[in-house]
Amino acid sequence: MPDYAHPEVLVSTDWVSKNLADTEHVRVIESNEDVLLYATGHLHNAVHADWQTDLQDPEVRDVISKDQFERLCSRLGIHPDTTLVFYGDQSNWWACYAFWTFKMFGHRDCRVMDGGRAKWEAEGRAMTTEVPSYPSTDYTAGEGHPEIRAMRDDVLAHMKEGGAMVDVRSPAEFIGEISHAPHNPASEAAMRAGHIPGASNVPWSRAAASDGTFKGRDELEAIYLEEQGLEAGDETIAYCRIGERSSHTWFVLTYLLGFDDVRNYDGSWTEWGNLVGVPVEKGLPEDDGTLAA
Amino acid sequence: MNDRLQEIADELASVPRDLQVELLLEHARQFPPLPQRYQAARDAGLGRVHECQAEVYFFPEVTDDQHVHIHADIPGHAPTQRALVGILMDAYDGAPPAEVATIPNDLLRLLGVDGLLGPQRQRGFAGVLARLKHGVAEAAGPASEAAGSKSEAADQDGASA
Repeated sequence: MPDYAHPEVLVSTDWVSKNLADTEHVRVIESNEDVLLYATGHLHNAVHADWQTDLQDPEVRDVISKDQFERLCSRLGIHPDTTLVFYGDQSNWWACYAFWTFKMFGHRDCRVMDGGRAKWEAEGRAMTTEVPSYPSTDYTAGEGHPEIRAMRDDVLAHMKEGGAMVDVRSPAEFIGEISHAPHNPASEAAMRAGHIPGASNVPWSRAAASDGTFKGRDELEAIYLEEQGLEAGDETIAYCRIGERSSHTWFVLTYLLGFDDVRNYDGSWTEWGNLVGVPVEKGLPEDDGTLAA
Repeated sequence: MNDRLQEIADELASVPRDLQVELLLEHARQFPPLPQRYQAARDAGLGRVHECQAEVYFFPEVTDDQHVHIHADIPGHAPTQRALVGILMDAYDGAPPAEVATIPNDLLRLLGVDGLLGPQRQRGFAGVLARLKHGVAEAAGPASEAAGSKSEAADQDGASA
């Protein structure tokens, strides 16, 4: 992965295959949309961290607290210097979300397995249903990185300043044409449809190749820099519906393209589309002829 | 809920989380293949539940003598949807349409798997369940749909009382 700005955070299935036995230094973590998928079979020595039940607080709508994070790491046998490798379903959405969460709590060495679970399976590599168990640790989180997360007030201020924003949802969601299918309460998750004024629309999937791996740096630059006019030195906020697809784009901008200051707005549209009194824009941005992509 | 669903709920709700996972995976494994006659429709994108992240397709059938048969296609990499929808397909196969309309909206809580899934997935499944009920009501025709709404309303009244 030599071309990327921070190539060390992306590892290949080959690398994982060669290193997953080194459980003293490496912990492989599966994070999926589907909570049962890990139990159907996973990489040898891989542990499971579920975005809903492990990484989010069950009571407050928030990520887990520092205490909860330390307990999670201790339970999974992680030390502060353990190399963590995240992978999962859905082109690594939740792997990137987990990576982002661990980074926020300051874990130093986090990586993503390029292509995720689908690539591993497509290559016919070994899987197991055996759940590994590691001696628990007494993990103490160091200095965190709260600056990689945007809260709603940050987003509002950023919007007012005309800051760069990437809405990574589908064009239909961005334009505000959410189909209100009859008898479908899920479509009511947000009271308003549309996007945050000033955001560009770059669906997350444009950063992914057909096999779920990330596109090469040239292709990514063509999309985010040349086509969308984003700049690596600008403060940029990514959002989607619930913050997972935008973790994928946050990862791309931060680590593959080397943007200095990207924040993931994990409240995303389910928060913004329900806030009272915030501006909502509908329709296509004036200068963008690429939405059909 | 009907007796078969109650039986499945009682079994699921009475076991610890590890065993719930095993039971749900068993339901996912038993998920029946989509009958041949619906495969062309599926390939054409009909019956797709768009609210769902996974590719879920529903083809509800109501026979002339008012028996429900739910057919669905859900990929193997979405075992949770396969398990939950599979449970409903199993419990309501051959049932009258009005019975499907009375499937409780808080089904996941009654199955005792709400904690396993977390709040966001519960919301997602609420959409799937609503779509399923609506699809069956639609297949049953207008008379039955009215009956369905009535029993759903009664159900809600009961919940708020």
